[in-house]
Amino acid sequence: MGTELISNLLEIFTAEDPMPFDHPEGDPWKDFRQIMRIEWKMEFTYRHILGKYSKFFIELANKRFFTTECPKCGKVWGIPRPLCADCLTITRWKELPGTGVLSSFSVSYFVPAFMKVETPYVLALVKMDGADTLFTHQLRNFGRVEDIKVGMPVKVAYATEPVSHPMLLMWFEPA
Amino acid sequence: MEVLNKKRRVFVLGGGISKFAAERVDGNMRDWVNEAVLEALEDAGVDIQDIEHSTTSYFSDHFDKQLKAGAIFHDNIGMCPKPNVRVEGGGATGGLAIRNAYAYIMSGLCDSMIVFGAENMGRHVPSDVAQQFIALASDTDWEVQVAGFYIAYYAMMMVAHMEKYGTKEEQFALVSVKNHRNAMYNPKAHYPMDITVEDVMNSRMITYPYKLLDNCLLSDGAACLIFATEEWAKKHCRTWERKPTIEMTGTGCGTDFMRMADRPHPYPGITHFRGKRMAAEQAYKMAGVKNPLEDFDCFEVHDAYSGVELVSYEDLGFCKEGESGKLMEKGVFDLGGELPTNTSGGLIGFGHPVGATGIAQGVEILRQLRQEAHPKRQVELNAKRGGMDSHGGTGTFCVVNIFERRD
Ligand SMILES: [Zn+2]
Repeated sequence: MGTELISNLLEIFTAEDPMPFDHPEGDPWKDFRQIMRIEWKMEFTYRHILGKYSKFFIELANKRFFTTECPKCGKVWGIPRPLCADCLTITRWKELPGTGVLSSFSVSYFVPAFMKVETPYVLALVKMDGADTLFTHQLRNFGRVEDIKVGMPVKVAYATEPVSHPMLLMWFEPA
Repeated sequence: MEVLNKKRRVFVLGGGISKFAAERVDGNMRDWVNEAVLEALEDAGVDIQDIEHSTTSYFSDHFDKQLKAGAIFHDNIGMCPKPNVRVEGGGATGGLAIRNAYAYIMSGLCDSMIVFGAENMGRHVPSDVAQQFIALASDTDWEVQVAGFYIAYYAMMMVAHMEKYGTKEEQFALVSVKNHRNAMYNPKAHYPMDITVEDVMNSRMITYPYKLLDNCLLSDGAACLIFATEEWAKKHCRTWERKPTIEMTGTGCGTDFMRMADRPHPYPGITHFRGKRMAAEQAYKMAGVKNPLEDFDCFEVHDAYSGVELVSYEDLGFCKEGESGKLMEKGVFDLGGELPTNTSGGLIGFGHPVGATGIAQGVEILRQLRQEAHPKRQVELNAKRGGMDSHGGTGTFCVVNIFERRD
């Protein structure tokens, strides 16, 4: 055989013609139906920069919720951005009270394993008090799913246990 | 937008599709692109040696872990040393590729363009990893860390739509029923099925309000289209006189903020696709479309999730905001209805190999306008015009393209 020399070999098999309906005269690829599958593992670790909005995450660790306000047009972006996308003015930091109203939500009963959350998992869009646009985060400690209503007041809650990403220093809860 | 030199016109000469399926273990992306290209060349009656330019369409560098894959597709079909360009716009990549062909030909950069697209997203990575790769197409600093799950974003949009307009789960379940059913007459479809609204409603709840059968699947597959000017076609296309003449008469593109959270209220808010409305307005203006329900015979609409198709009807101008569910109930968009949509099966029934999807929409419209579709899914031609709506992110990229039959 010799194939045992291939350390990452998974299988060798004969594939079927996936389009026999297109090939009444016979399979034009019949000499190419032997297929090999191998395992290919790649792992990467990044040293990721969180950009000019890093202060948001630093303040989350201090249990404070900051965003940005445009000094020209006055727009307060729910998610901070260093440049106002409406008028291209450099913004300034502004602290918000961390309260708001639920704009919409979804309830997931299945989540991909990479997410490391319990189900049912609730993703929320929140209109923060003092901001003109929304903020996206999880809603936790909501009690029963039936009790989650668009328009209900919510507030930012802060982590006290170690987290795997600075964004997880916060979440929303019913206010 | 008076940029168009009306002396130049762009025609659709041929198309091809390599089967959409859950996992194509018989080959990889390059093999599927080869198949789609061979079919398109045969359909168009042209030789690759005569085609001047190509456009590559695929979305993810993670799925196939082959950067610059377009160079391989292009050299596999003997296009070197002629020019190639890759376009990318998430789920709208295929629509952008068609638009790119139009732009290059109209500008005079070339007289002929072959557009090929594929995506390798089936089962060669576990579905968890696949979901993570797709999640990377949302904001990785602000959204992925807390959500990272496209269905959860779209479900929030649909909850808001239901809240605002009273849209019902049964109404978007009808989209799934229609698209799975249409796919039964498309042998290249991934997911043909004869199901009922009850089947959709009773399928496993993934993310409220979306059940398992409301969602499209990850597919493998490829698609190809060939475009050229009339002058080029007369010279190089053996089927030019024999097959109905199909012209590309409109194209539009629009965008929105990457994160739904940043979008302005009340419109689009978190219910609508502002970029799609802009894309449709541009394309309709170019093609002279006044009333889309009457001016199109068929339309391929982006249906990654069933509710997305309903909302898209509203932004494509088929009805007013909030009225799509009722029209769906009336059968307006079914085969035999006023404007049949996703006759191919759409993303839900035909499949969604992202880079191929938008191009496959174009192949379907080409087949419909030439009256070559399976008799059970062939639409009646009145306006002799078909549209397609290619969409990425949560409406972050939207492209609308229009083909017309010239008799
Ligand atoms: Zn501003």
